[in-house]
Amino acid sequence: MFSRKLKDIIAGRLMLAAAVLSSMLVIIIAVALYLRAKPILDVKSIAELLLGSTWMPFQGEFGFFPFILGTLYVTLIAMVIAVPLSILSAIYLAEYAHENVRTKVLPVIDLLAGIPPVVYGVWGVLAVVPVISYIAPVIGNLGIPFLTVKGYSTGYSMLAGGIVLAIMVFPIIISISEQVLRAVPFDMREASLSLGATRWQTIKHAVIRIAYPGIAAAIILGFSRAIGETMAVLMVVGNVPNIPSSVFDSAYPLTALIANNYGEMMSIPLYDSALLLAALILMLVILFFTVAARLILIRIERRMAHG
Amino acid sequence: MNRKFLVIILITVLTGALLSGCVDNTETKIQSTPDNAVTSTPAQTSVKSQELEGTITLSGAWALYPMAVRWGEEFTKLHPKVKVDVQAGGAGKGMADAIGGLVDIGMVSRDIDPSEIEKGAYPIGVTKDAVVPTINAKNPSAQEILKTGIKKSTFVKIYINGTIKTWGEALGKPEIKDEIHLYTRSDAAGAPEIWAKYLGKKQENLKGTGVYGDPGVLAAVQKDPLGLGYNNYNYALDMKTGLPIPGIQVIPFDVNENGIVDPDEDISTKEKTIAAIKKGVFPHPPARVEYFVTKGKPTGLKAEFIRWTLKDGQKFLDEVGYIELSKEKLDEELKKVE
Repeated sequence: MFSRKLKDIIAGRLMLAAAVLSSMLVIIIAVALYLRAKPILDVKSIAELLLGSTWMPFQGEFGFFPFILGTLYVTLIAMVIAVPLSILSAIYLAEYAHENVRTKVLPVIDLLAGIPPVVYGVWGVLAVVPVISYIAPVIGNLGIPFLTVKGYSTGYSMLAGGIVLAIMVFPIIISISEQVLRAVPFDMREASLSLGATRWQTIKHAVIRIAYPGIAAAIILGFSRAIGETMAVLMVVGNVPNIPSSVFDSAYPLTALIANNYGEMMSIPLYDSALLLAALILMLVILFFTVAARLILIRIERRMAHG
Repeated sequence: MNRKFLVIILITVLTGALLSGCVDNTETKIQSTPDNAVTSTPAQTSVKSQELEGTITLSGAWALYPMAVRWGEEFTKLHPKVKVDVQAGGAGKGMADAIGGLVDIGMVSRDIDPSEIEKGAYPIGVTKDAVVPTINAKNPSAQEILKTGIKKSTFVKIYINGTIKTWGEALGKPEIKDEIHLYTRSDAAGAPEIWAKYLGKKQENLKGTGVYGDPGVLAAVQKDPLGLGYNNYNYALDMKTGLPIPGIQVIPFDVNENGIVDPDEDISTKEKTIAAIKKGVFPHPPARVEYFVTKGKPTGLKAEFIRWTLKDGQKFLDEVGYIELSKEKLDEELKKVE
């Protein structure tokens, strides 16, 4: 009898320890990054680091602003492309598609999620970059803001990074949204259709309204995948630490900065801590967006609960 | 109550253990086996008569990786009981690992910083390599470029100042309006560092679209008729045929600035490049010596290995795509390990 109780207690405590430890990992990582980044924080002010736009480590200039903007812009472009496309395909798969089509298409989409980032990167270099360098002069001369081309575009651009990222994010948003949509009780559709609503009206006013928080969660998951992606983006984005003014400009995301320089620059003291500061900034940016997304999600749920 | 206390202690200990991993531990000494194995063998003269045994670990520059792997294979053929373990990861990692005692030999494809020597780095030059500027073979001005070569000051204006933006300006023919599509390496490495050094600056000063890795830059130039990049010589030229990779041409350096590529400045094939480097016509940098770095003067097995690479090992350089050090330089390096 006693051993049974003991087992129960031990199991409970162990699981508590595991849970506490894993939730503390975030803090541990943040503290470790902070400690390693401290040498540069001692020398430079935070404002100078975050808002400076010159990156010349050997001349003592560490401005992270282009990198922060690079990360945000590339992710934004990816989401602008990915969100409408994936939600429309999820709606089609959940609401319109025949069972036969759905069972064939969904596994293919899930397969996309399993392809390693490097493969996406290589594909981006071979397929996306040349197409962009081809269309850039055509679109660039139309004079649309954010779509201009200064001089020439090699194709290695924010747009290329955004497209590759968007494709990497598709499977996440599509498969989660599809499941969320299918989880909406059938009664809702029947009720709406019996009132004379068309299929599209039913989807728009009944199904999506209910599935809203779930779809928002899917988008947030896709976003966090996109913002942290390194290899695929690094291979197509051009890696120039400038403040980009057009989608055809090169950008330099934080993840690429770390990956490009970490192994090589370890023996140079301030460079090392600058890179770890980049990691810390990236973590804080992601933390900020995750918390913001959570708050939005809570608000949506609350609003829905109140009708 | 007691149990709660235990859990708290457990968590603190685990957290402490995790945190301790984050602190810089260059002080930690990981004793490598070969050192022990070899120090127990008697004086160096008798090592030769005895069968060599143990493991040699190397890490570092990508540029030296293929050569080290080949040397490792050949050395193992001679001494079956020796295991040579080679890892790539960048010159900086090789240097840090060697100084920290994590590996026996660090591979470094750039110049050694004086501060690194102070920390105990002991560099031994083992081979030579070069970085060459590359263009697309379909460049409309390719004929012209290959005939006249490009001066160092022009490269500086293209890569550092950004004042030259068209191929016409680079050739002194303003009627040619084709823009130069400039490519550079995005990753920190020996090749971009040596290229920047040739131009008198650091990698961070190089302009151009950053592409990842040597093959990346090569592919970008191969696809872009107006592209200009730079590559390790053994990437730009096919080591079997001795000619540039299809779709690529190597720009000769106009060293004496007479506006024409003299026969000894010609680097259009592998043989001519090697000859130009050996003669010293090829500028240095971007030709560079690649180093094996040990912590302090190497002893025992690793010294044996390095000595072998400087003697018999040199004959494998050519087929893998590296260039022999000059005779005097080889002797000088050999003295460092005697």
